[in-house]
Amino acid sequence: MTALTTAPPVRRPGRSKRLKASTLLERPNFVVYGILIAFILGSAFPFYWSFLVASYDANVFTGDVPLIPGGNFLVNANRVVDSIPFWKALGNSVVVSGTVTLSVVLFSSLAGFAFAKLRFRGSKGLMLFVIATLAVPTQLGVIPLFMAMAEFGWSGTLGAVIAPNLVTAFGVFWMRQYIVDAVPNELIEAARMDGCSLLRTFWHVCLPAVRPAAAMLGVFTFMQSWNDFLWPLIVLNPEDPTIQVALEKLQSGYYVDYSLVLAGTTMATVPVLLVFLVLGRQIVAGIMQGAVKG
Amino acid sequence: MTADLTEVPSGRGVEPRPPVRREPPEEHPKLPLRDRLTRLDVKFTPYLFIAPFFVLFAVIGLFPLLYTGYVSLFDWELGGDEHPFVGLGNYTALLADDQFWNALFNTVSIFVLSSVPQMITAVLLAALLNTALRARTAWRMGVLLPYVASLVALAIIFSNLFGKQYGLINTFLEGVGLSPVDWQGNWFASHVAIATMVNWRWTGYNALIVLAAMQAIPREVHEAALVDGAGAVRRFVSITLPLLRPTIIFVVITSTIGGLQIFTEPKLFDPAGGSGGGFSHQYQTVVLYLYQAGFQDFDLGYASAMAWILFLVVLVIAAANFFLTRRIASTGESE
Amino acid sequence: MPYRSSRWAIALACTAALAASAACGSSGSSGGTTADGKIELTVATFNEFGYEDLLPEYEKAHPNVKVVARKTGKADDHHQNLFTKIAAGSGLSDIEAVEEGYLPQVLSKADKFNNLLEIGPADVKPDRWLAWKSESATKNGSFIGYGTDIGPLAMCYRKDLFEAAGLPSDPAGVKAIFATWDSYFAAGEQFKAKTGDKAWFDSAAQVFNAMVNQEKVGYYDASDKLVVDTNPDLKSDWDKVTAAVAKGQSAKLVAFSNEWNTGFKNAAFATKTCPSWMLGVVEKQAGPENAGKWAVTDAFPDGGGNWGGSFLTVPKQSKHPKEAAELAAWLTAPEQQIKAFTAKGTFPSQVQALTSPALLDQTSAYFGDTKVGALFAEQAKKVPAAQPKGPASGTIQDKVFNSALQAVEQGTSVDDAWKQAVEGAQKAAK
Repeated sequence: MTALTTAPPVRRPGRSKRLKASTLLERPNFVVYGILIAFILGSAFPFYWSFLVASYDANVFTGDVPLIPGGNFLVNANRVVDSIPFWKALGNSVVVSGTVTLSVVLFSSLAGFAFAKLRFRGSKGLMLFVIATLAVPTQLGVIPLFMAMAEFGWSGTLGAVIAPNLVTAFGVFWMRQYIVDAVPNELIEAARMDGCSLLRTFWHVCLPAVRPAAAMLGVFTFMQSWNDFLWPLIVLNPEDPTIQVALEKLQSGYYVDYSLVLAGTTMATVPVLLVFLVLGRQIVAGIMQGAVKG
Repeated sequence: MTADLTEVPSGRGVEPRPPVRREPPEEHPKLPLRDRLTRLDVKFTPYLFIAPFFVLFAVIGLFPLLYTGYVSLFDWELGGDEHPFVGLGNYTALLADDQFWNALFNTVSIFVLSSVPQMITAVLLAALLNTALRARTAWRMGVLLPYVASLVALAIIFSNLFGKQYGLINTFLEGVGLSPVDWQGNWFASHVAIATMVNWRWTGYNALIVLAAMQAIPREVHEAALVDGAGAVRRFVSITLPLLRPTIIFVVITSTIGGLQIFTEPKLFDPAGGSGGGFSHQYQTVVLYLYQAGFQDFDLGYASAMAWILFLVVLVIAAANFFLTRRIASTGESE
Repeated sequence: MPYRSSRWAIALACTAALAASAACGSSGSSGGTTADGKIELTVATFNEFGYEDLLPEYEKAHPNVKVVARKTGKADDHHQNLFTKIAAGSGLSDIEAVEEGYLPQVLSKADKFNNLLEIGPADVKPDRWLAWKSESATKNGSFIGYGTDIGPLAMCYRKDLFEAAGLPSDPAGVKAIFATWDSYFAAGEQFKAKTGDKAWFDSAAQVFNAMVNQEKVGYYDASDKLVVDTNPDLKSDWDKVTAAVAKGQSAKLVAFSNEWNTGFKNAAFATKTCPSWMLGVVEKQAGPENAGKWAVTDAFPDGGGNWGGSFLTVPKQSKHPKEAAELAAWLTAPEQQIKAFTAKGTFPSQVQALTSPALLDQTSAYFGDTKVGALFAEQAKKVPAAQPKGPASGTIQDKVFNSALQAVEQGTSVDDAWKQAVEGAQKAAK
C-alpha cells in the first residue's frame, strides 16, 4: 500500500502550537488575486454577454454587442414569461433537480463509504464495475430507455426524468475516493468500539466529515440535472416541460431572437446560482469548522 | 486494477483529526448490542449501502446496455421492421471503416490537447483557491460559471472568436501582420479550437474537485510542516500533492472517460450545428459519428457496435492513464 | 431506538425519493381519451405553424374532441424526437409534423404512417394542394402527409451592390440576369470584375441545392436507385457551381452560421436564393440600417423551385387515426392556411388559398413595399414536378454534397471533393 508511505512525518506531540486558520492557509498576494480575477473574468464573460444581449431588443447584432447593458431586460423577461410556461417549467426543474441531487448525494455517500471503509466480499470487483459503467456512451440509450419508461407507464411524467438519475457512478466513485483519506479509520474504529452500528457510524462519523465533498457533488449534480436537455425533451410532454425544454421553444422561427432566448437562459440560471451560494457555503464551512474546532 | 482504487487502506499514517462530529440533536440511550446482530450488521450492511446504485442500475441502466449490445449484432435499421442477424458483421465493418479511424484519431487528438493543460491548470488553480481569500465562496463558485453558460451563447461567442472571415482571433492576427488561421478547415487548428472550448468549460470544474480534496488534508500535517519551516511551494509539492492522489486518480479517470466521449463541443463548433464534424470530418469525434450513424443514417446496429468499441477503447485508455498517474504520483517517495 | 430510527430515516428517504418520482406520474398517460370521455388528439409541431388560435376553434366546433398542442422550437429537436419514438415503437403524437428536408427519411418508413387516402375525409384529395407538394409526400401509392406551408423560391439581391457594379437594379431590369443559371453566373463574373472583394452569392451549397432540385432526376432515380455517379445533370450543376467558386463568386459562408449572419451585416454578397420565409431572415440579419437596400424579384434561374415547408402526418401509433386525419385535413384547408399565414407568415400550399386577397395583398416594407404575397404565389406555380427522392436524399444534400462544396470553397480540389461527395453519398445510402 503506497498510500501509507505518501504521508509526511508524523507530528511529534508536544511541539504542537495552536495556529490560526489564516496563518495555515497562505495569505494570497496581489499576484494570486490578479490571476484569479483574470480567470473569473474569462469564466463569467459568456454569462455577462448573455445578459448584455438580453438587455437589448430583437435587433441586437450578436457579432458586436455593446459592453454596457441596455434597458430592455425586463421587457424581454416579460416576453419570455408570456411565450413559454416559464414558472411551471421552473417548478418542474426544481423538483427534478432537487430530488436528483438529494438522492445522488445520499446514495453516493452511502456506497462511497462502503467501498472506501468496509470490507465485504466482492467489493473490489463491484467498484470496478461502477467505474466501468461510466465509460458507456449514453447517446443511444435514449431509445431503449424510452421503451422502458413507456413500459412502466412513466413517460410524460417527471418521474421518468428523475428515476434514471437517482444514482450516478460518478457520485459513488467521487465519494469513495474522497472518503478513503478524509475519514480516519481510527474514528470509525472508535465509533464501532462504542457499539455504533455501521449505519450510525456512517451517519455520525462519516457524513459530517464529508460535507465539503457532498456539497461539491450536490453542486455538480444539480447543475448537470438542471442543464439536461435531450432526455427530458424525449420523455416529457412539451406542455409540461423542464426549464431547458421550455427554453428551447424560444428558438422557433427561421431566425432566432437572441434577446429573447438569452433573457430566458439568464433567468433560468438564477436558481443554479442560488444553489451555488447555499452549497458553496457548505464547502467553505467544512474547512472553517475543521479549523475552528480542530 | 490495483489497490488504490479498490482496497481499503488501513490508515493514513498520521494521527487522526479530532472528530468533527456533530452532536445529534437529542440524546440517544445506548443500545446494548448483541454479537450476532453486530456480525449480521458487518456482513450485510455494506451490501445495503451499495444496493441503491446496483438496484437502480439493474432496473434502468442495464436494459439500455444489453439492448445496444443485442442490436449491435444485427443489421438494425432504426424504425425498420426486419433486422437480419449479422453476428459480428457490424464490428468487422467498423474496423475497416476509414471514417471510424479518422474519428478515433480526432477524439484522441482533441483529448490530448485538452486534458494535459487542463489537469495542470486545474491543480494550480485549486492551489490558488485554497488560500485565505476574501469572499472565498464567490471565487470558488465563480470558476464554475462556464458550465452554467447557455450553449446558445457559447456557440455564438466561440464562433465570434474562431470565425475564419470575421473572427476576433483572425482579425487580431491580421492586425499584427500574421496570416489568419483556418480554424474550421485545418484539422489541427480545429482541434486546438475545440480543445480551447473544452478547457474553458471544464478546468474550473476539475479545479473544484481537487480543491475539495485539498481541504480534506488535515491541518496537523500542514502545521507540522510549517513548524518544521517548510515553505509554501515545498509544502505544496511534498505534502499536498501526494495526499491528493486518490482525487487526482479520480479526476484523471473521469476526465479520460469524459474526454473520449466528447460530443457537445465539436457539435457546437460546426457552423451548421451538424454531427458531421466539419466538411471533411476533420473534427468528427467517435460519439459524433455514432450519433450520425444512429440518428441520421438510421443504422442503429452499426451505431451500437461503435458504442461498444468506444466503451472498450475508453476502458483501455482509462486503465493506462490510471497506471501512469499512479506511477507519476508516487515518484519521489520512498516506496 | 436510535439504531432503528436512523435506519428508518434512510429507508424513508429512499422511498420518499422513489415516491416523489412515482407521485408525479399520474398526469400524462396518452390513452387517447380524457376523463370526461372526450377524444384526445395530440398535435406535435415545431417552429411556427400558426395553430395557436386554430386548435381552440376546432375544439369549439367539435365538442367531443380535446386537442393538445405539443410544440418544439427547433426542427432538429422535433425530428430527433420523432425518430426516437418511431424506433421505440410508442410515444408519438396523433399528428406529427414533418419538414420537407426530413420527408425522404420519413417516407422510407411510410409503413409507420397512415395512408391518408384511406383514413382521411373522402373529399380531401391530393389535388387540393399544388401538385408537386402532394407528390412529394406520396410513396408507392401511399399519401402520408397533408401539406401545410411551402417555400417557393425567388431571388433576393442588393440593389446598391448591383448599381456599384453597373448592373441594372430595378425588378424588371434584373430579370435578364436571373433568366438562367448560365446568365446568373455570367452576371456574377461581370459583378466580380467590377467590385473585387464582394461576392456574388453567399455559399455554393445554397445555389447548388436549388439547381439540383430543378432537375428531373437528382440523387435517386424513380426506382429508388442512387445515381450520383452517373447522373450527368448532377455533374453539370456541380461543374457550374464549382467553376463559379473558382472565380471567387462565393462568399464561402455556411448558411445560418454565425459568420453568415455577419456576412449580411457586412454586405458580403449581392444575391441570395430566397424562399418566401427567407425575407424575414434577410430583414433580421441585414438589420434596419440596411433597409431598402435589399430587393426581391419574381424571377428565378431556369424556372422555379421550393425550399422548406412541412406536412402533417398521422402515425400508425395513433389510437384515433380517423379523427386525427380529420383534424389534419381541417388544419391544412385553405381558410385555415390563410389564418396561419396571417398569424405567422407560413406560406399556403393549397391551390385555392393562393388566390386569397389576404395573401395577394401582402407587402414588405423592408423590400421596398414589394407585393411579396402575389410574387411568391406566382413563384409557387413555377415549381417543377416533384423529383424522385430516396431515403437518404436529405442527408446526401445537406450533409454530403453541401459539405463537399464547402470543402471546395475552403481549398480542396474539385476532383477530390467530387470523390468525397460520391463516396459519402454511397455510404449514406447504404
